[in-house]
Amino acid sequence: MRVSLNWLADYIDLEPSQPEEIAQVLESLGHEVEETERLAPDFGRVVTARVLEVEAHPRADRIRVCRVTTGGEPQTVVCGAWNFDAGATVAWALPGATLSGGTEIGRRSIRGVESNGMICSERELGLGEDAEGILVFDSGIPPGEDLAGFESLTDTVLDLSITPNRPDVMSYVGVARELAAYYRVDYRSPEPAFPLVDARPRIGITVDDPSGCYRFVSREVRGCQVSQSPFWMRTRLRASGQRPISNVVDITNYVLLELGQPIHAFDLEKLGGEGIVVRRAYPGERLTTLDGVVRDLTPSDLVVADRQRASALAGTMGGGASEVTASTTEVLIEAASWDPPTVLHMSKRHALRTEASARFERGVDPALPPVAAARAAELVSGLAGGEALAEVTDVVAREDRLRPVTIDFELREAERILGPGFDAPRVTDLLSRLHLGADGEDPIRVEVPTFRPDLTRPIDLVEELARLWGYNNFPERVPRGPGGGRSVSQRRTRTLRQALCGLGFSESVSLSFMRASEIEIWGWDEEDERALQIHLKNPLRDEESILRTTLLPGLLRVARYNHSHGLDEVAVFELGRVFLDRPHQVLPKVPDQPERVGLLATGRLGGSGLGVTRRPVDFYTVAAVWRALSHQMDLGGWRLEPVEAAGWHPARAARLLLDGRPVGIMGEVHPAVVRRAELSGRVIAMELDLDPLVADRRHWQFRAPSVFPPYTFDMAFEAPEDLAADDLLSATGEAAGDLLESARVFDEFRGEPLGRGRKSLAINYTLRAPDRTLSSEETGEALRSMAEAARAVGAQLRGEL
Amino acid sequence: MESLDALLEKAPTLVKGTSTLDELSEAEAELLGRRSVVAELQRGIGRLPPEERPAVGRAIQEARRTLGNLIETRRRRLETESERLMLASDRVDVSLAALEYQEGYTHLITSTIEEVCDIFIGLGYRVVGGPEAESGIYNFDALNTPPTHPSRLESDTLYLDWGDPADEILLRTHTSPMQARYMEKHDPPVYVVVPGKVFRADTPDATHSPVFHQIEGLAVDENLTFSDLRGTLAYFAREFFGSERRIRLLPNFFPFTEPSAEMHASCFSCEGGGQCRVCGGVGWIELLGCGMVDPNVFEWVGYDPSQVSGFAFGMGVERIAQVRHGVSPLRHFFDNDLRVLSQFR
Ligand SMILES: [Zn+2]
Repeated sequence: MRVSLNWLADYIDLEPSQPEEIAQVLESLGHEVEETERLAPDFGRVVTARVLEVEAHPRADRIRVCRVTTGGEPQTVVCGAWNFDAGATVAWALPGATLSGGTEIGRRSIRGVESNGMICSERELGLGEDAEGILVFDSGIPPGEDLAGFESLTDTVLDLSITPNRPDVMSYVGVARELAAYYRVDYRSPEPAFPLVDARPRIGITVDDPSGCYRFVSREVRGCQVSQSPFWMRTRLRASGQRPISNVVDITNYVLLELGQPIHAFDLEKLGGEGIVVRRAYPGERLTTLDGVVRDLTPSDLVVADRQRASALAGTMGGGASEVTASTTEVLIEAASWDPPTVLHMSKRHALRTEASARFERGVDPALPPVAAARAAELVSGLAGGEALAEVTDVVAREDRLRPVTIDFELREAERILGPGFDAPRVTDLLSRLHLGADGEDPIRVEVPTFRPDLTRPIDLVEELARLWGYNNFPERVPRGPGGGRSVSQRRTRTLRQALCGLGFSESVSLSFMRASEIEIWGWDEEDERALQIHLKNPLRDEESILRTTLLPGLLRVARYNHSHGLDEVAVFELGRVFLDRPHQVLPKVPDQPERVGLLATGRLGGSGLGVTRRPVDFYTVAAVWRALSHQMDLGGWRLEPVEAAGWHPARAARLLLDGRPVGIMGEVHPAVVRRAELSGRVIAMELDLDPLVADRRHWQFRAPSVFPPYTFDMAFEAPEDLAADDLLSATGEAAGDLLESARVFDEFRGEPLGRGRKSLAINYTLRAPDRTLSSEETGEALRSMAEAARAVGAQLRGEL
Repeated sequence: MESLDALLEKAPTLVKGTSTLDELSEAEAELLGRRSVVAELQRGIGRLPPEERPAVGRAIQEARRTLGNLIETRRRRLETESERLMLASDRVDVSLAALEYQEGYTHLITSTIEEVCDIFIGLGYRVVGGPEAESGIYNFDALNTPPTHPSRLESDTLYLDWGDPADEILLRTHTSPMQARYMEKHDPPVYVVVPGKVFRADTPDATHSPVFHQIEGLAVDENLTFSDLRGTLAYFAREFFGSERRIRLLPNFFPFTEPSAEMHASCFSCEGGGQCRVCGGVGWIELLGCGMVDPNVFEWVGYDPSQVSGFAFGMGVERIAQVRHGVSPLRHFFDNDLRVLSQFR
């Protein structure tokens, strides 16, 4: 809400407060000032002038020659606007004047007639948007005044963001009331007084739906003349962010801003029939609203209707058919209280958020309608020359809403939440300043006026006490909890992340969605777990319409993104949830959403330098990464076995088994996927369930290093190609028994002279005993049994022992 | 014996005159070698009368020791010199990065979360997580957010086409559902922080993302007041943004806290006024929303609101990281551009 401090001064005396201070006070009360705008005329040498004569230009049809005066000698000014006549008071830019934006005005000849300066429009003066005609002042403004000196044009506007619980502050009176509470001063509310005529209202009011309409007040004003509203009102409305339209319409906006009660003016003669009914819309009913949009209504909409049809969307927007126009003379002023959820529903359903709906959906004081209707009638009769009828129609459908709420407030509540110091005198003082009734000592009986619908419970009053006392006037104290910190799995997850960073992988964080096109790239079928997709009900874009079932599309997206920016060596990992279309195993009602760790790398990996050739990534890279991780994470009992799965290289991917249970896949991404992703070379990836990796486990146990010499030797085996190196290592290792300290494959060879389907594996073994130097008999025996064990799994020792 | 004295006299000049290890070896041969004066005297010792032999023998030993020390000293010196020359020729360009290890970088979101959690662990809090696909019950109902509340509309919340529509399965809009989930399962005192992903129906732009991260804090105990909230947040601000920070609280509105506030910290980059990148010249930085836990939340989880009180706060991880490091626009958190990731530390 935009608050002009000039206008605000009508309701509260804040001398000599500075705008900055007022802004700070409002902020301390919870009304954020989004912007402080200084308004000041940026023109000079522009004065008010009376038009004495208007004559046709001798040589041009569309412009006229005017004689204007500031009180002295009349001068000639040529003008192209037609919205005024002799007698009007206008803004005259004298020769030498500067207009808004810097245009300089001189004396010049226009088609043979010398013009002394010009007559200005609002837009030329930077006062508004209207460039159709010139700015015409009210007759009360005398000629010869320096326009830049008009007090109303120098103003400060505070743009307030009012929280949804405070509809009462969405008005000038409401803002004044807040400041009055802070400064301990009084505020003023308008008390309408105006001449009345005795006549029966023409329009009867029926409220059919008390659930939607608490109260409906109508007032009729006859004999109005719709024209431009006075300069002061236009200036105030503009400063408050409203575009002036005509006096009657401007008055409705003025009263809305002043009191916070939205009102609507109907052209009484355009209403069909002699009655208004508040009812739910009929199925199939239509209404063209003031913005020209044809709205299809449903029975969830509440309408103000005449005998024939809906004429307004309750509390939201009026209808075009009964709109006040230049020819309107009879006006019906509506001031009503609407049910907040009903208005919220309508404004959302019709995507129609107006000043009125913004207030009604939060709750407008049901005591306001008669005051607001009177205020509007006062202004209409004063500014549009109408006569207001003395008889007012006031239908109260919900008496209960008009009764103030009482709350029994125990002082203990304040002390419990706010700390010591909130005794009866302080609490009573604070509550009274907030215009709440406070009676008694403890409990204090608090009477809440109807303009504070947000105050229903003791805790609501606690907040009010704190707010007015000042949130920043409380001492600081730091309580300590009982501890707990991170759980085992949280600590182990951190270890995992640090290990991955240490191995050269960078952490990425992706949005948790995947696109249809990305699913196509990977090409999994319906049987695949990855096909257990959950779709969003209300996605904003295609990109965010399907929840990810795997981390890999996101990681591939990262590789592509970097590739497209010229970075081909990408090594990234992500820790996060995937979402699967099946029930959560522990939590009821929500889908399964396991945490995963995924990684992906392209190009080469490892340290680089002058004369250092790095290895391009391949299956062995990802397996090495896993082995390092398993060591860092203290995970034993794992095994890799070949796997064929959609999106993975059919011969270069492995399933990881941890204690015999599958936890994920690692390997090379299928070359077709790589091609479709417009990448090249080998791309490695891994995706594992996080839980089994970070679960608590048996801790590793210390082995004292032997002080005796090692026995180190190499063995080369010839074996069928499909014999897993792991199988050979464990077979020979088992045979060596406790003596085995380490075993490492240092060469793998295929081709001549081995023949098809054969390979050779060279392994470096270290044997050592904890308590003695191994004898040649012992080592000889070990070697023989290792060779024997190798033979048992199909591997022949090459050469002699 | 005169020859021995003469030898000892000329020896220092001879030894110190050598400039290489080879020259020193020659000098050594001359002074102590097989043909040296010392060697000859040694060989002649048997021809001397027995009573003279000990004295001569001692003199020879003395001379040998003196000469040996002389040579050894010189040798060490020449060796040092020769090594110095050798090392000098092994000079590197210290400015040349001839080798670089491949570093991996922790994401700024993670490191920020870890740091904030560490701060609260220091105050005795526990770190807990929770489901990202949530039900409307925990995301809204439990948190005093009625079915008519605007935040429940499809324009704000991403709903999933999953499960019983009555359960309103959605992507959690804040980390606050864990308040209810945790209190439901644990008795007070409760001191927890909940970091995690949250979702909103927002199209990505400079300041919005459909996914971002929050850290929720919740403390419930017997005597917690507004002062505990203030003190805790001030402590956090000082730990995270620097020991000079002050905070201010401005009243605000959230359904699940009352009193509710927005917390600002004094700017770490300026004294207020001027063109500050961080605070825009206001002198204060808006950091997070907070408040005292609403009694309705306590009732929902089965706590007695007349017996316990507590406070909660929720901060945007990207927001506080952005404030501290200037990362902007928001998409840089999620594009995972290596040129950005490699700036994180
Ligand atoms: Zn600053």
